Amino acid sequence: MKINRRRFNTGVLVAMLVVMLVWMILPLALALLWAMVDPDYTWSYPDVFPQKLSFRRWPMLWETTTLKQSMINSYSLGAAVTVMTLLLAMPTAYAFGRIEFKGKNVARLLTLLPMVLPGFVVAIFFSSLLISIGVYSRFLGIMIGHCIVLLPFAIRILSVSFSQVRQDLIDAAKDLGAGWFGVVRHAYLPTIKSGIFATLIVVLIRSVEEFSLAFIIGSPDFTTVPTILFQYLGYAYIRTNAAVISLILAGPSIILMVLLERRLELANPAAEVGKG
Amino acid sequence: MKDSVKRSITVVALLLPGLGLIVGFVGIVVVMAVVQSLGFLNFLGESGFSLHFWQRQLSNSTFWKAFFYSTRMAVIGAFCSVTIAYPIALWLRKPFPGSHFIASMIKIPLLIPGLVAAFLYVNLISHSGFINHGLMAMGIIEEPLKMRNDPWGIGVIILQTWKNMPFALLLLAGAVRAIRDDVLDAAQDLGANIWVRFRRVVAPLTLTSLQAALAIIFIGAAGDFSFQVIAGPIRLNSMAQYMMRQQRELGSWNDAAVVGVSLMVLALIGSAVVAMISRMIVKAGEK
Repeated sequence: MKINRRRFNTGVLVAMLVVMLVWMILPLALALLWAMVDPDYTWSYPDVFPQKLSFRRWPMLWETTTLKQSMINSYSLGAAVTVMTLLLAMPTAYAFGRIEFKGKNVARLLTLLPMVLPGFVVAIFFSSLLISIGVYSRFLGIMIGHCIVLLPFAIRILSVSFSQVRQDLIDAAKDLGAGWFGVVRHAYLPTIKSGIFATLIVVLIRSVEEFSLAFIIGSPDFTTVPTILFQYLGYAYIRTNAAVISLILAGPSIILMVLLERRLELANPAAEVGKG
Repeated sequence: MKDSVKRSITVVALLLPGLGLIVGFVGIVVVMAVVQSLGFLNFLGESGFSLHFWQRQLSNSTFWKAFFYSTRMAVIGAFCSVTIAYPIALWLRKPFPGSHFIASMIKIPLLIPGLVAAFLYVNLISHSGFINHGLMAMGIIEEPLKMRNDPWGIGVIILQTWKNMPFALLLLAGAVRAIRDDVLDAAQDLGANIWVRFRRVVAPLTLTSLQAALAIIFIGAAGDFSFQVIAGPIRLNSMAQYMMRQQRELGSWNDAAVVGVSLMVLALIGSAVVAMISRMIVKAGEK
């Protein structure tokens, strides 16, 4: 029976690896190849591989398109959204994580509201609101929109972190004469810092990748990395440029998420405060 | 009494910057859409109460085509995602050599932005894409096949499944792992084969996660814009695409609002119906 199970697992594992190869690895590998096609050579049938590989297209795109400005826009927006979202989410997350009150479950459900509305509906009617109240700053408009649609993620992550803070640590800090700042520093911070780190990364990635609000509110003047990728995919399909921008968009996200996963695996709040 | 009042004020003060902002924002967005659909806040013409925009859209065949197309894509996308995710979740329930690697690989699409996913797909199926190259090199076809923007929306379904299946897996895997071994062993001892164990034990015990996965995927797929524009049928619009056309190309915010409100209703009612249907299927399977 054990042998059968092992054989079954091995068989399915091999089949899954083949599927993964076609479903995941091949598309990513092709994107990488297309991003490295030398601008002086074409890659067309019957060539199985590009005639010449180089990174020459990358600086070309950087210098001749709005990529540089789009990256500045995306990451400055991402940084501002991350800080704002963290600050706005903290009090609500504290209430969810540390205080028992009537209607808490309903309140928790309500925080998920931005996730149940289609993104483009939110984007269009939020832009309509901005026009109505006379807010014409695209940066400000997108930043407010991003903060609100990303708040549910931040609140969720941080409220779990707050709920893990041990009451005996808080009491001990207070008994030892720590003031408000001391309690935060010695009792809360060691436990919630992983949550803060996770929030920062998740919000940053989601803000940089967000397309609907950036496209509706920002276009045509304020471009972000996803909006220029959309231009190369939709209006004027330029595969090589789309490949470079796809990698620029997806690469940092994947690296940051892997970093986050490793960090969260290593994080042990109890160990960090010397308790086990 | 004083303490409880103070405590309530503290809770409200703490909830305001996060929850208050969310509720206020979503409320305003929904109200803006509803108000504009009823003729108010017309940026290009006269504002005032009117059902004209609703009448115009509801009698427009393009609106209904977009409505049913988005519904179809969302239903098929959601069910395809959970149908593929279920057996994988069951297979990965108990760790074995290589299972962690496979689980990590399957999660990759969760890390890939939707637009990049669309590019990866188009790269494979476009006129000069890998599949056409491969088929021509093998001598199966002489001319490249036109697979991008197929008239049935197969490309959109593939993309929806590619992007959403790992999410469904994430939800279902947690629920499947939570089923105790002795429950499954008892069913097996009583003579239940794999299919019966799935119908009578696994599906009922994972129903909540299944419903959550279906509902969330349905909402996302119903409101899809980018997959549709990049890989979807040229002659059909999704609801989000049609709404954009009304607002961007025709400049009619009020017509866009009608489509937007309809899309919100579709997302909310559709996801509830999909969750209800899945419950009925699971309950029927139990018998």
